[in-house]
Amino acid sequence: MAPGAISGGYQLALQQLTDSALPTGAFAHSLGFETYIERGLVHDEESFGVWLSAFIGQQLTYSDGLAIRFLYEGGPVEELDSLLTAQLLPRQLREASIKMGTRLLEIGSEVFPSPELVAYRELVTAGRAAGHQPLAFAVVARSLGVPLPEALAAYLFAAVTSLTQNAVRAIPLGQNAGQRLLRKASDGVAAAVGHVSHLSPDDFGAVSPGLEISQMRHERQRARMFMS
Amino acid sequence: MSATARGSAPLVEPVGSETRGFGQAQSAAMGELALRIEQRAGKSVASHQYHRGALRVLRPHYLDESGQVCYVLVNPGGAYLGADLYVINVEVGDGAKLLLTTQSATKIYRTPGSFAEQRMTVRLGEGAQLELAPDQVIAYREASYRQNAHITVRPSSSLVMAEVVTPGWSPDGASFRYEELRLRTEIHVAGTPGTDLLALDNLLIRPPCSDVTGMGFMEGYSHLGSLVVVDARVDQALADELHALTAGHDAYTGVSLTVSVGGTVGLVLRSLSNSTEELATLLGDCTALLRKRWYGQARLNLRKY
Repeated sequence: MAPGAISGGYQLALQQLTDSALPTGAFAHSLGFETYIERGLVHDEESFGVWLSAFIGQQLTYSDGLAIRFLYEGGPVEELDSLLTAQLLPRQLREASIKMGTRLLEIGSEVFPSPELVAYRELVTAGRAAGHQPLAFAVVARSLGVPLPEALAAYLFAAVTSLTQNAVRAIPLGQNAGQRLLRKASDGVAAAVGHVSHLSPDDFGAVSPGLEISQMRHERQRARMFMS
Repeated sequence: MSATARGSAPLVEPVGSETRGFGQAQSAAMGELALRIEQRAGKSVASHQYHRGALRVLRPHYLDESGQVCYVLVNPGGAYLGADLYVINVEVGDGAKLLLTTQSATKIYRTPGSFAEQRMTVRLGEGAQLELAPDQVIAYREASYRQNAHITVRPSSSLVMAEVVTPGWSPDGASFRYEELRLRTEIHVAGTPGTDLLALDNLLIRPPCSDVTGMGFMEGYSHLGSLVVVDARVDQALADELHALTAGHDAYTGVSLTVSVGGTVGLVLRSLSNSTEELATLLGDCTALLRKRWYGQARLNLRKY
């Protein structure tokens, strides 16, 4: 490799794909933490950190992360899409995944086109798939040649970054507190990447009842900043 | 899961899959039960019944004039132990109505290096009605348990299942001393042309691996209740109504609708509380509303306690 060359060739593409400025609408979703704010349980840096750590270890590991791994291992995208739709029992969470996934499919088709992405989009257009965020990401990342551990770490950290930015606005927290949270969460993300590789198909969708109930209750929350 | 999309990847395979018919359950099973209910002259009756080993049903009875038959599942051994496998096949034919309950709590004792397992396959016909109302699951110290349910409904079927999981029991009085609890339910809708996945409800609690009691898991509560309803009459108004009904209980509850598949839709209610009785009453209130509204039946009273 020439001095100064960028390794892998996908680095900048992956950065663009996981940048929090990527217009998928992630700023509009708390994925359930707004319910904890409303109950007074999440109110500062430390308490948000506890929620974030649970979210990484549960939702991002057993649902998003495992879906990405299955796709990388050759799982048919149509079947995985159907599994996610069935497993995301809280309606707002299912809708958030589809909303952000649909945007990612559109953006990806313009800037990182591939036959696999075209095929997934066609399934969505034909009504045979919903278009979920982790799968849209995995299809693009895989077509760019991003290895699975890197793709997983990048996806999980991007999700964590969006959620933390949203918490900084919603709680509110200072910008530096947000950065401290992100640095701490990187350990959780690294652990989750390892955990995902050890899970079995039977583990898919095993998200804790507490997170799910809070995501469900958000549907009926009166004053809210977020769509989920 | 689309019936046409079968890949080579290690995907989630339906456990107790539909290929296993009546009486073909694994011979290694500790207990087997097969039950087929059909509608005859306005009354639901068993047209096939088979049991072997440590599973059987009590003589059927009718709790009201609705024609719904009630079967009580009995485990004469009293508890599940390591490597025990229980296989249950239930079919409710077109227009038939079944209430399936248990005689007592499902108790799982120590299962060192292994796990106890229950596999249930359920098929509902057109217009068939199934109410699953088992007693609570209690896992004792060092117990591992897997419960897999594979349910296939028709768009016109009606399914109501309620379940309570306790924090278990150990001699020192501490909670969550079991190794692992897995309760996994897949619900498919058989229509034309294929069969599609409606809901995948997967509960996994592994107390030795991480603190399951706090924020983001059990939220400081000890007991978990869940209600799953699949019926074409389920809608957002019903979900809101059930949510309102739970407000008077000492429990933390959420209700949400599943995706709509083949003209039917599901509703999932989850509730955390600190006692089996509180959750049993809450779930009983919800099923009472459904029984009255949809079937003109009174609140379920099994008089077991």
